[in-house]
Amino acid sequence: MDAQQAGIAVPGWKAEVAVLQPINEMFDAQGQARPECARVIAYLLAMESTRLADLGERAHRMFQTMGVTFNVYGDHEGGERIFPFDPIPRIIPAGVWAGLEAGLIQRARALNAFVADIYGEGQIIKDGAIPRDLVIGSPQFRHAAAGIKSPCGVYITVAGIDLVRGADGRFHVLEDNVRTPSGVSYVIENRRIMTRLLPELIRALRVSSVENYPAYLLASLREVAPGGISDPTVALLTPGPFNSAFFEHVFLSQQMGVELVEGRDLVCVGHKLFMKTVHGLRRIHVLYRRIDDDFLDPVVFRPDSLLGVAGLTAVLRAGNATLANAIGTGVADDKGIFAYTPAMIRYYLGEEPLLPIVETYLLRDPEVRAAVLRDLDHYVVKPTGASGGYGVVIGPSATDEELEQARRRIAAAPADFIAQPVFPLSVHPTLAGGVAGGKAALVARHVDLRPFVLLGARPRVLAGGLTRVALREGSLIVNSSQGGGSKDTWVLEE
Amino acid sequence: MLRRIAGSLFWAARYLERAQWRARLVDVNYHLLLEVPPRDAEPWEPLVWITAEQELFATLHSHVTEASVIDFYVFEKENRSSIRNCIESVRANLSPLRHLISSDLWLAVNRLYLESHGWTAQTLSAAGVSAFFADLQRHFYTIEGIIVNTMPRDMAYDLIEIGTMLERPDNVSRLLDVKYHYLLPRQEEIGGPADLRQWAAVLRSASAFEAFRKVYGNAVRVDRVVEILVFDPAFPRSIRFGIERLARVLARIAAREDEPAPRSLPCADLLKILRAGSAPQTIADGLHEFLIGIEAMCARLAGHVFDRYMSLE
Repeated sequence: MDAQQAGIAVPGWKAEVAVLQPINEMFDAQGQARPECARVIAYLLAMESTRLADLGERAHRMFQTMGVTFNVYGDHEGGERIFPFDPIPRIIPAGVWAGLEAGLIQRARALNAFVADIYGEGQIIKDGAIPRDLVIGSPQFRHAAAGIKSPCGVYITVAGIDLVRGADGRFHVLEDNVRTPSGVSYVIENRRIMTRLLPELIRALRVSSVENYPAYLLASLREVAPGGISDPTVALLTPGPFNSAFFEHVFLSQQMGVELVEGRDLVCVGHKLFMKTVHGLRRIHVLYRRIDDDFLDPVVFRPDSLLGVAGLTAVLRAGNATLANAIGTGVADDKGIFAYTPAMIRYYLGEEPLLPIVETYLLRDPEVRAAVLRDLDHYVVKPTGASGGYGVVIGPSATDEELEQARRRIAAAPADFIAQPVFPLSVHPTLAGGVAGGKAALVARHVDLRPFVLLGARPRVLAGGLTRVALREGSLIVNSSQGGGSKDTWVLEE
Repeated sequence: MLRRIAGSLFWAARYLERAQWRARLVDVNYHLLLEVPPRDAEPWEPLVWITAEQELFATLHSHVTEASVIDFYVFEKENRSSIRNCIESVRANLSPLRHLISSDLWLAVNRLYLESHGWTAQTLSAAGVSAFFADLQRHFYTIEGIIVNTMPRDMAYDLIEIGTMLERPDNVSRLLDVKYHYLLPRQEEIGGPADLRQWAAVLRSASAFEAFRKVYGNAVRVDRVVEILVFDPAFPRSIRFGIERLARVLARIAAREDEPAPRSLPCADLLKILRAGSAPQTIADGLHEFLIGIEAMCARLAGHVFDRYMSLE
């Protein structure tokens, strides 16, 4: 089967999208405020520019104060790293959100069905809807997961799906995160800051609350517990204080009221999972893990791992505990397999995808590769095995030398790369860097959106998500490791 | 509560107590030597004996001087029990479980840590020894006050108590032992002015001088010092007081457990000895042997508590 038969696009044209103008989330092409943003814009315009600048300052100060409470974790130098925050909110009207929500649930269900299938019967491969070697060859495929059944059929309890808004105003899926997606604590913290900065505006606009996320998460985790347990015990497994997301682990465990455990707190006895408490061993039914597959169980994965617990895989296989997310879910967010996700939705759900994906070309296909290499400066090239924006080459802004390097690397291991046409990420008015002489100026910066979807007995979507903003002028990379910041996302109620 | 967390609370408390104790030792010795010009060649040497760190000290310094001992006690990064390292250990133990302690406690510990982190060799001379230790003591009192006033009396609080009460008797015992056996310069007589000044310094090191005077007046006598520091049921830094408190904490934890309470607490033997003993008799029988015995029993008790509530094995 080749790419075209599977419905995968082959680039036969110069990527015209590169010249498309990105849309502005708050203003239309005529410079008029979009209806859902009119009140926010009027409010901001009515503020004196010094007060507007002050908004940024106050946000920064509040984050520093709160930042002390979260960044000193794991930072033995006592320093503070703050995820930069922009106080201009990103607005999503109720109607748009309803569409997104349906699309996100559809997507999470299909990805979940895919994981269940490939570690079970493998029907999708037998039916030829996705190449076998692409699945088995994925660095995220885990043989150890084969045959492990999850209660409720849920493998992906938590999904973070990265969306970008194109020149046509539609949200497209840029990538999925179905291993241990992070960032939700910032969504909640950002909102806490904004309710102090702009309380009257939040009330007037009827912004959906994000405070319910921990309760949603706990409910979902309890629902996927092994059958017959009336009051399951949930614990959150962290790699420990030196992990960059440790703040979030503490935050979520505290908000959910569950124990925050490390590998050394756990023990498997008689194919059951326990934590070591001062009053003896206590059974755990659902483990919300925030460590990677490779470190989970030294018996099955990396034998040198001290972060996991020996025997966990056997406990899961015996059906005596549920792991959220399950082992091997990463295969569903593999950047190469991403190209097949629309096909997956059709295959498992018999539905048309509600959310389009950013066109994705697999460079392992010689024909596709030749086409992409011809116009490499029009594409974004991503290594399939990396995340966090590392190793990404953006054609239009790359130097000749960088392009040449990319060519060499692609030639050496074509299956390790995908290419996407340069996507005109929407821009959003942003205060960052716009303060001059005490006066505030709003500048346009590229944004994306990471909403969070939970699967349990029923799906739940957090009304909002993490809006990441590329603070550097012209930059398309929003990752915090690459100079990105975040904004509060306001989903409006009907 | 997870056993790992129990261990962290226990060690945080021990290191806090140790840092505080060491700060007092150095402060008192410094002031003692200000008042009385030393006749000994190395009047700071006993401090290294008290904490049994002669070997480590010798690897770092060739001479026992005021500067080298203070440096070793307060700032030395190679010394796990230097005040700086103790403070760092308190913070490192509490940091991952900040969500379980009051934010006031965390902020106070972190403030002390950040301050200690900025210490250099010049800090002491710039601030002056007295002001430096007075400031340090204020930090410790603040932290203790926050613990007592903001923490619910649950397992977390109990473990802090256990850590403190296992560290304290050990320190008192060593202080007494060293003074009793090694400290007096040869040419001085027992009960002479130098001897009495040293016993007064011992009391001050245990913050016991004022309490002592209230009970016994000005007449400092060896048996009375031993009485107040070992057998006194009312003085908060006496060995007996600490073990009595420990017994109450262990009983409280046992009562909270689902299992039936043990018939006798692991500290029952120790308690019996401390309740029955008296200073004159103990001195007559040999104070050194007695204190060695107490230290061994404390170590066994610590081992028992560790196995019971903290060990991950």
